[in-house]
Amino acid sequence: MAKKNGKSVYIAALLLFLGGLGYLLFTGFSQNSVYFLEVSEALAMTPDQLGSARLFGTVKADNIKRHEEGLGVNFILEDANDKSLVLPVVFKGAVPDTFKAGAEVIVEGNIDDATKAFQARTLMTKCPSKYEKKNRE
Amino acid sequence: MHLLAFLLLVASLLFAIGFGAAAALQIWQGRSTLLHWIEKSQMMITTLITVSSFILLWALVNFDFSNYYVASYTSLDLPLFYRVTAFWAGQAGSLLFWAWSVALCGIIFLYTNAYQALSDGTKMWFWMLFLTFIGFFLFLLTTWSNPFLLISPVPADGNGLNPLLQNPGMIFPPPLLFLGYGGFTIPSCLALAQALNRKQPNEGSWTDASRNMILFAWLNLTAGIILGCWWSYMELGWGGYWAWDPVENASLIPWLVGSAFLHTSVIESRRGKLHRTNTFLVALTTISAVFATYLVRSGVVESLHAFGDGGVGTPLLIFVLFFTALSLFASITSKNPNARPMAELFSREGLLLVAAWFLIALGVIILIATMWPVFSKFFTENPQGLDQQFYNKVCMPLAAIISVLLMICPWMKWKGGVKSGIMLGVVTAVFIATGAAMYFAGYQIPVSILAVGSAAGCIAGIVLLFATDPAARNNRAIGAYGVHLGVALIVIGIAFSGPYKKEIQTQISRGETATLEEYTFKYKQLYEGEAREYIFLQAEIDVYEDGKLLGTLEPQRRLYHKFGKNRSFAEVSLIPSLGEEIYSSLLGADANGNITVTLSIEPMVNWFWIGGTLMCLFPFIGFTRFRKSEKVTDAA
Repeated sequence: MAKKNGKSVYIAALLLFLGGLGYLLFTGFSQNSVYFLEVSEALAMTPDQLGSARLFGTVKADNIKRHEEGLGVNFILEDANDKSLVLPVVFKGAVPDTFKAGAEVIVEGNIDDATKAFQARTLMTKCPSKYEKKNRE
Repeated sequence: MHLLAFLLLVASLLFAIGFGAAAALQIWQGRSTLLHWIEKSQMMITTLITVSSFILLWALVNFDFSNYYVASYTSLDLPLFYRVTAFWAGQAGSLLFWAWSVALCGIIFLYTNAYQALSDGTKMWFWMLFLTFIGFFLFLLTTWSNPFLLISPVPADGNGLNPLLQNPGMIFPPPLLFLGYGGFTIPSCLALAQALNRKQPNEGSWTDASRNMILFAWLNLTAGIILGCWWSYMELGWGGYWAWDPVENASLIPWLVGSAFLHTSVIESRRGKLHRTNTFLVALTTISAVFATYLVRSGVVESLHAFGDGGVGTPLLIFVLFFTALSLFASITSKNPNARPMAELFSREGLLLVAAWFLIALGVIILIATMWPVFSKFFTENPQGLDQQFYNKVCMPLAAIISVLLMICPWMKWKGGVKSGIMLGVVTAVFIATGAAMYFAGYQIPVSILAVGSAAGCIAGIVLLFATDPAARNNRAIGAYGVHLGVALIVIGIAFSGPYKKEIQTQISRGETATLEEYTFKYKQLYEGEAREYIFLQAEIDVYEDGKLLGTLEPQRRLYHKFGKNRSFAEVSLIPSLGEEIYSSLLGADANGNITVTLSIEPMVNWFWIGGTLMCLFPFIGFTRFRKSEKVTDAA
């Protein structure tokens, strides 16, 4: 009898645990999801769908403008596969060491309705040396 | 030369396949006449891999740019130390290092008393699994991921090693992780071997037989992760040690599963329970390590520093699925005839199991979240991922609850009930007092209060335990509680340095100041200098706390000759403190000498490093000599 009780306590505790976990996950998934997109995919969506997104692409060689006042950079993000698909990006903040023309970058932010430019909150570059493709150039 | 090395790898692959098949055949026939030869083959394989590894090392050290791998990751001006470490700078080299680690761990295990005490049948199963495992890596090394490819024409100079990797903090994490993965291969194969061989009544449990190997592996994983954090903090210059990047997550998942296994294995070796759970969990540790590699290598999830897809993704995934199916089968079908039911939930057994649930839950959550861009494709057109807040929101409460369990667990009896009500009362009082002190000092985030309070309670408990209980003063207990002391300090470090960090990015003109909280930063001057591989700009910033000079920061911006004028790298500068550490990173300077800097206050961050160091040192005390008597008591 005691043995059976012990088992049911474990099952109850496990259910409680999984319930709490499910709740944490559910709130996390519903509040903290962001789109992970290539430039081409982002262009196919309307700006209001892009409330929060993370974009992957490469930095176009021309039109890189460092901000003169304060920190930041304006540049054009190209689709990794189709160079004709581009999106202007405005980033305010410290530009990473490895940012340069042709670099593969990840930006997080949203599309600004007025300017149609992507307002990036964060700008990251891919870790360069460990990236094999880079070395095969 | 490189062809020879490649052929040696092919030869070792053939040995692994041949003797793995021989082991399978012998198991089928119920014989063990070839055991001696199979053991010899493991030595042969290890020797061949070792020679190949040395050939690669030799090529790296001697600038042999005819090797594609050497040309990709080294250059003429690279110091010797970093030429050696370029061994694991790329994919092919790291896989070779992994295979080498697995092989060496196999040799070490072969010569332990614990191995000698095993039955022949178990040994045979063990070698069959182990040789399959190592054969798989050799297969990758001789096909998709060959470190001995030649390049023609031979370049005059190599590509050079990324300056970010030219830091002691980044040199050691990869090999430590690989040694850890290699180490966990032994108990995983042994557990499955014993399960598949059906437990022999007179044979000791694999948890005892491979206990030192488990500790060694766990120690390496821990050290690799902590050093990786340190590298991130010191070298990347963004002022943090953990960013929930897929590569970081990939290293954490096997650690979490392995740690969960350590806790359930205590229940097996002390109480003879949870036999099947342990078999599966230890196998899962190795599976998650391979899966982590798949995650990092296959490009399935975009990451800051993943390797490109070298074609190894698919075979790794197939291997993971195969190994998982085998482990499930082995653990479900094996039954320990002496198994007893678990004690009640509020016992030390019960709470250890609950702690393991939480550790596994963390691992599963991190896995799902990391893979979310892949999973979400099933129900949305465009993939969705999760940001850092998700991880912090979901993982931190779970980690805080683990810390609470850590505080309570030592005061519970194995079979149920409280060991010492007074002690538990004292510990709870410390918990409440610390929490209250934090609240009134202005640190009011609930999860932080819970975490710091319980960590303080845990530390008080450990001190009390060793002061009052002479029976606790044995090496195993000192090792275990020492590690937990480290965990408690890490909890405190994270609970403060995560949510209570203060940071600004600002531009300062010469002679001007910037302020952050009670600190004033006065930018005095900027000068240039030169070292062997780089030139640097260095800013001199005096830091005052409430008007009193605290110290001088000298952050640098370096231009490596090898990497051109357009790419400079930050060298951070700190004013170390056990309380609030001052951190600075020079982002840039213009022609007028105005500088742009990141300045931050990192409260209690050093407790993270101290705790991490303790976690890596105390397992050494926990190593025990394997005694044959253990085998006898186990069978009795």
